[in-house]
Amino acid sequence: MRIEISRLTKTYRGGVHALDGIDLDVPTGMYGLLGSNGAGKTTLMRVLAGLLRPTSGTVRIGGHDVTTSAGRLAVRRELGYLPQDLGVYPDMTARGFLDYVALLKGLDSRPFRRRRIGELLDVVGLSGVADRRLGRLSGGMVRRVGVAQALLGDPKLLVVDEPTTGLDPEERIRLRIMLGELAGERTVLLSTNLVEDVAETCRSLAVLAAGRLLFDGSTSRLVARAEGLVWTVTTPGPAPSGRIVSALPTDAGTRYRVVAPERPAPEAEPVEPTLEEGYLALMETTRV
Amino acid sequence: MIATLRHEFGMQIRRPALWIVYGLAFVLLVISFRQGYLIPDIGRVPRSVTTDLLAVVGTVNVLMPMAYGCLLADRLVRDGRLGVSEVLDAAPASRTGRLLGKYLGACAATAVPIALVYFGRVAVYAVTEGGPGALPLSVLVFAATALPGLLFVGALALAGPLLVPLPLFRVLFVGYWFWGSLIPADMMPTLSHTVLSPGAHYAEFGLLYTAPSDPYVLPYGPWPDAVLNVLRPVASPGAAFLWMGVMAVLTVAVLLLVRLHTSRTA
Repeated sequence: MRIEISRLTKTYRGGVHALDGIDLDVPTGMYGLLGSNGAGKTTLMRVLAGLLRPTSGTVRIGGHDVTTSAGRLAVRRELGYLPQDLGVYPDMTARGFLDYVALLKGLDSRPFRRRRIGELLDVVGLSGVADRRLGRLSGGMVRRVGVAQALLGDPKLLVVDEPTTGLDPEERIRLRIMLGELAGERTVLLSTNLVEDVAETCRSLAVLAAGRLLFDGSTSRLVARAEGLVWTVTTPGPAPSGRIVSALPTDAGTRYRVVAPERPAPEAEPVEPTLEEGYLALMETTRV
Repeated sequence: MIATLRHEFGMQIRRPALWIVYGLAFVLLVISFRQGYLIPDIGRVPRSVTTDLLAVVGTVNVLMPMAYGCLLADRLVRDGRLGVSEVLDAAPASRTGRLLGKYLGACAATAVPIALVYFGRVAVYAVTEGGPGALPLSVLVFAATALPGLLFVGALALAGPLLVPLPLFRVLFVGYWFWGSLIPADMMPTLSHTVLSPGAHYAEFGLLYTAPSDPYVLPYGPWPDAVLNVLRPVASPGAAFLWMGVMAVLTVAVLLLVRLHTSRTA
């Protein structure tokens, strides 16, 4: 499902511009949305999920205009949504919660529903705790219940907002792999402030800052933004100038990785940039 | 709507607080009546099966609706508090259907203990005094007297916490129940004993109780020295249906406001 966003703005009461003239085209497949806290990612996700009405601009998803109620309804029929702050009824079981969401998504056939819920519980690795109350599951498990509910109804568009936040490393990797496998024919829009999540799963991404679109394109293009700007310096002395990405203690002193427009120290060596450094270079050069 | 109704009914009926609060209300009710603090008006008139049933429903209607309103108050706001709303709102099911399902399911479940107390007492009465004919009549009495008020109070209890914090709403609701339904009409300016009150007096006196000529029983209606008597017509079948209509209109109006509120917050 292709997403076409044109001149999208969202201004909250009090004049806060959460989105400011966004133009974006999201193709089928896995797509990352990067940005710091407050960049406007969640607002954009909520607009795409039909939960927020934009102040101006157009958003078409699979040809449906989400600024109209008919369009929003059509999109919801094809949508799987995992919100940033997923809440559940603590006194319900995982299976019961999925059953309720499945009914709301129009999965009326009981045998089909039961089978599908069983399959999804397997996919997210929760079959063993399917009948345990949600209030007794770990944060990671609840997050996986969230993924399962998003997949009910076999959605063509999956909107996942910071899905790995709060997960331990093992669960994060597991969830990333799961999302990557789900992409295929679907559009999976992954919003995150963790560059690593995008680096491991997406080939294209957009970067938001202060409600504006700073970048959209392939991950390799974003990496290229930092070509010739990333250096390593090992020094026992003070930190070099520039944006420090990492500081690793060694026997010879601290080994810094730095994003800087010029060699930050005489002994600095240029190195190949990563996506994270591409992101930092972008933020440095286009400060808003 | 049906899915939400079933879901809300199930969640509310399994809630321990429901049975604990009603249990306490029931104990309080029994103690109050044994002490003679609460005597339904209907007890002063000549007895019949209908008046006995009205006395039972009147008794139940004194305290139980307070528990009913307080227990319903968190049903709508808790979806937002728990963070479940976003997932549910992103589903293609209509919000109006979900609201109606929530309202009907939660109200039905919360009314179950009231119905159990009422019909339990009626069953004992049917066996000991009233005969089997009391059973079908009891359904009519409950539907005509208790149900319209419960429907309105249910809508009010769902809507109130959207405007004021939940604990404050519960306090205000208990105050409202006393002020708007229980206190004598001449005690202070009050909606009590008016057609705007969820108390069941108009259905009792206007529709179901047909008093024989009794010079010692005043017709139900305006109170001497009370303000707002314009809202207290003399009880008659017309006044009873007016009261039911007012309760229905208020219920729909409150639910519409809730629906509007959920749209505006989107």
